[in-house]
Amino acid sequence: MWKTTISGLLANKLRFALTGIAILLGVAFMAGTLILTATVKASFDSLFTDVNKGTDAVVRTKGAIDSSFGGSERGRVPAAVLDSVQSAPGVAHAEGFVQGFAQLVDKKGKAMGNPDQGAPTLGLSWPETPALNAFHLVAGRAPTAPDDVVIDNASAKKAHFRVGDRIKILTQGPTSDFNVVGIVRFGAADSPLGASIASFDSATAQRLFGAQGSFDTILTVADKGVSQTELAAAIRRAVPGDTEVLTGAAYTKENQDDIANGLGFFNAFLLTFAMVALFVGSFIIYNTFGIVVAQRTRELALLRALGATRRQVLRSVLAEAAAVGLLASAAGLAAGVGVAAGLKALLQVLGFDIPANGIVVHTSTVVTSLLTGTVVTLVAAVMPARRAGRVAPIAALRDVAVEPTGRPTRRAIAGVVVLALGALALLGGLFGKGDNAVPMVGLGAAIMFVGVAILAPVLARPVARVLGWPSARFRGIAGVLARQNALRNPKRTSATAAALMVGVGLVGFITIFAASAKLSINDTIDRALRADLVLQGSFNGGVSPDLARDVRNLAGVDAASGMRIGSMEVEGATKQVTAFEPAAIGGLFDIGVTSGSVDGLDQGIAVYDKAAESHHWKLGDTLHVRFAASGPRDLPLVALYGRKDVAGSYVISTGTYDANFTDHLDFAVYVKAAAGADTAAVRANVQGLVDTQYPNVKVQDRTEFKKAQAKQVTTLLNLIYALLLLAVLIAVIGIANTLALSIHERTRELGLLRAVGMTRSQLRSTVRWESVIIALFGTVLGLVVGTFFGWSMVKALSEEGFSRFAIPVGSLATVVVLAALAGVLAAVFPARRSAKLDVLRAITHT
Amino acid sequence: MTSLTDAGAGSHTSVVAARTVSAVKVYGSGDTAVRALDDVTVEFERARFTAIMGPSGSGKSTLMHCLAGLDTLTSGQVFIGDTELNGLDDKRLTLLRRDRVGFVFQAYNLVPTLSALENIVLPAALAGRKSDQAWVDTVIDTVRLRDRLTHRPSELSGGQQQRVAVARALASKPEIIFADEPTGNLDSRSGSEILDFMRNAVDQLGQTIVMVTHDPLAAAYADRVVFLADGRIVDEVADPTAERVLDRMKQLGG
Ligand SMILES: Nc1ncnc2c1ncn2[C@@H]1O[C@H](COP(=O)(O)OP(=O)(O)OP(=O)(O)O)[C@@H](O)[C@H]1O
Ligand SMILES: [Mg+2]
Repeated sequence: MWKTTISGLLANKLRFALTGIAILLGVAFMAGTLILTATVKASFDSLFTDVNKGTDAVVRTKGAIDSSFGGSERGRVPAAVLDSVQSAPGVAHAEGFVQGFAQLVDKKGKAMGNPDQGAPTLGLSWPETPALNAFHLVAGRAPTAPDDVVIDNASAKKAHFRVGDRIKILTQGPTSDFNVVGIVRFGAADSPLGASIASFDSATAQRLFGAQGSFDTILTVADKGVSQTELAAAIRRAVPGDTEVLTGAAYTKENQDDIANGLGFFNAFLLTFAMVALFVGSFIIYNTFGIVVAQRTRELALLRALGATRRQVLRSVLAEAAAVGLLASAAGLAAGVGVAAGLKALLQVLGFDIPANGIVVHTSTVVTSLLTGTVVTLVAAVMPARRAGRVAPIAALRDVAVEPTGRPTRRAIAGVVVLALGALALLGGLFGKGDNAVPMVGLGAAIMFVGVAILAPVLARPVARVLGWPSARFRGIAGVLARQNALRNPKRTSATAAALMVGVGLVGFITIFAASAKLSINDTIDRALRADLVLQGSFNGGVSPDLARDVRNLAGVDAASGMRIGSMEVEGATKQVTAFEPAAIGGLFDIGVTSGSVDGLDQGIAVYDKAAESHHWKLGDTLHVRFAASGPRDLPLVALYGRKDVAGSYVISTGTYDANFTDHLDFAVYVKAAAGADTAAVRANVQGLVDTQYPNVKVQDRTEFKKAQAKQVTTLLNLIYALLLLAVLIAVIGIANTLALSIHERTRELGLLRAVGMTRSQLRSTVRWESVIIALFGTVLGLVVGTFFGWSMVKALSEEGFSRFAIPVGSLATVVVLAALAGVLAAVFPARRSAKLDVLRAITHT
Repeated sequence: MTSLTDAGAGSHTSVVAARTVSAVKVYGSGDTAVRALDDVTVEFERARFTAIMGPSGSGKSTLMHCLAGLDTLTSGQVFIGDTELNGLDDKRLTLLRRDRVGFVFQAYNLVPTLSALENIVLPAALAGRKSDQAWVDTVIDTVRLRDRLTHRPSELSGGQQQRVAVARALASKPEIIFADEPTGNLDSRSGSEILDFMRNAVDQLGQTIVMVTHDPLAAAYADRVVFLADGRIVDEVADPTAERVLDRMKQLGG
């Protein structure tokens, strides 16, 4: 039996190569992601190890609140604690540090870097203690004066700064100029992973980052012979109860874990697409093995007649699958190294400087990749293998390979049941309150795809008949034959189309979702935004609150308010809170206040009415909240409002924010021109202010703001398209594979057609149109499923601002056209092969 | 080779539907080379029914394939009417097969996805022409297929399938029809139906037919029998009867 497995593989080299590619690509993507993540993680790990090399213990406040955007908010340690730490036994050196947002401005007045799209722009206090300083000066000296700054070598090179130059730096305070007194490198790199660095003396940093009389952390170095644990214990006895003390090692580990967490999201995001690719690949495996088994029916029957048991036949097919899966996975793993290198280069383009300390391939990556690829192949081959086992010895005598189509009613019922189960899981995940929403939705979607794939053979004839109508009508006999060929084996057509369905379904879904998002955003802006101008800073960085103040003082401005988002604890749960200038809210936004008034917000809090309802809060109640920086606070509930698309569920005043958060950065400033004011003049004034003082801000009017919001959606959309391209590519390979197998099977028939006068170009056209019909069938299925996904997703997120459901007809029509072109592409190779058939040989082919 | 019957006045080509001149076909090369056709010069006249006979491997199919433009000669010439086939490219050969030649194979003649009718009008459809409806109707009635027109080949008996194939060959009114053992797979009744039909096509419609057969009874339907052995024409019989053909076969065989 092993001999037949091996000879089976060798005899079908080409078709198995094509099949293998389907798995190879998926595995390559998966391995590439795992390798990239491991590589990035390794560089961060070594980065933190280097940074914290000399740190033996860390002192900071307790009670951090994890922010919903990753990272956490934490209060500051009073400067007096430094004295207590220094007096603790075993402490050789102790130094307080602050850090915050600091963005450099180049010599042309442009802000450098963009923390929303690339590495952060960091401001730090300069470490006086050599053991705690991971930087080393390559020029100049340490900062000592209030207008001294040391910058990183990468920024210095990029913007041609040299020691002695003046440099403008944006912080949460007023924008000011500094003297570049030193330039540093970080280990062997010009900057730590591409982040820009501005380092000030301690007092200056405290002033710039609003940390007068306090530190973010106190780092200590132990006396010789004192272990990190002993040191931490000694310091713990010396400091107040609301501070915590970590060993240097624990601190490093925490830093590394934070990064691992962040990477985990990134990893899961990319792996999702790898899984989609493998899922699509499994359809192709299923199909290829199905066809091969059908074509080898006579050979298998002969084996059975000669005494091979069912089990032996089944095993020989599975062994083939295992061999194909393993080989393809191994090749995919190798290709994954290339994929990782490519992704890494992509990140580099985006501004993340990952040191070239090589590619990290963990054993777990190797095992996962090989195992996943092989198992997917095996699972997909189980059904065809069972069919092979069921081949009756008598089939050896029959002439043609017949693929059983099964009973249509049973198939229809099975399909509908599976589809319903999938829909149930999907909707349950979307609308339910369960914890595993995301995996539920993913699983539901996959099951729905399988359900449609089960149903597809029942749909294939009627749908393909309609889809093939144009070809039959306008392409003459070649078109008629194309349609007939697409119809003749519904199972095969369906399985081939199903692979494309998955990719197109997700493309359709994301297209619809994005269109709905854009429409909803526009809707929100139209209905809820009263501001005339939006001054957009950055989300991960920010802009000084001075901007809002300065704008408010400009002529023709009626109202202006910054917008900030932070985290707080409400009844033990972390919530996102938004801060505005209370007096300006009404002029700038319509948040739909239902009771109370935001005028009293200075001292209190406003809550989205549905959130209040679920907590049984009423106007006038006192909410007990906790902020990371300031601890527990009681805030009276002063207003309830009905729209959360602008402000989220909790709103406080900028003043309350200032009092309870360490950072005071706005991420945007909204501006309303005074009634009767010349908006163009107001805009020009604002632009002038921004150009000279706040170059990290973009001034947008309502239209531009809408466009910018839409562009963000488009950017994400394009990224997802790019990632889904692989799944579509695999499906196209699947179509080519099926066509090649079908053509092989129809050799005699094609010979006959050629003999009675079909020209090569007619034959190519037949193959091409069959391919297009299959592709369109998959597309139609995909778009139906994708529309359902889009609709349910939008409905599920209606609370989150998805007020509108849109079907972008133009974009979806483009998808259809592209799918037809993909069909043409898939047919190129099979069509060429079919046209090359030697007529006589084909007709005598058996 | 002179005509066995006087077709009257007219040029050489108006009488001859197809001919070969010193046709040689060699398969393979060196030690394993096979001379399937060895200097064959033969003519097939219009409106005549010619049978080709000979032992297995004597080159009958090869001759038919070369005549029909399905295969090319190693040397020598082939003509369909006035057209010399040597040197025609694939496209021209294809169009010649489609428009001027009909072919009936021993088995596997029909496109399985097309109905009987669609198979019959396939060459016209390939040419993007409307077929001559009246003529197609005549052909269909002659082969008695009217009640089977919408059936797929898999729903037809072997004899019916061959009749569809013959109907297809006739429907496009080709200059000449080549049939390679068209009755080889059929029982004698179905076989004689086909042969009657071909005979009629020649007599009533003036069709030219060249048929390969191993069966003296089938050969007796023809106007003339040409004998092939080892790739050469070795003999021929005019107005054959089964006995005379059998006789000649025995002589040649012995
Ligand atoms: N493609 C080929 N390659 C090599 N030799 C071939 C090929 N086709 C035919 N032959 C050889 O050419 C010779 C003539 O073959 P052909 O098929 O013409 O015989 P035939 O008279 O039709 O025989 P039969 O009555 O068995 O059909 C045979 O010896 C055959 O083996
Ligand atoms: Mg033969």
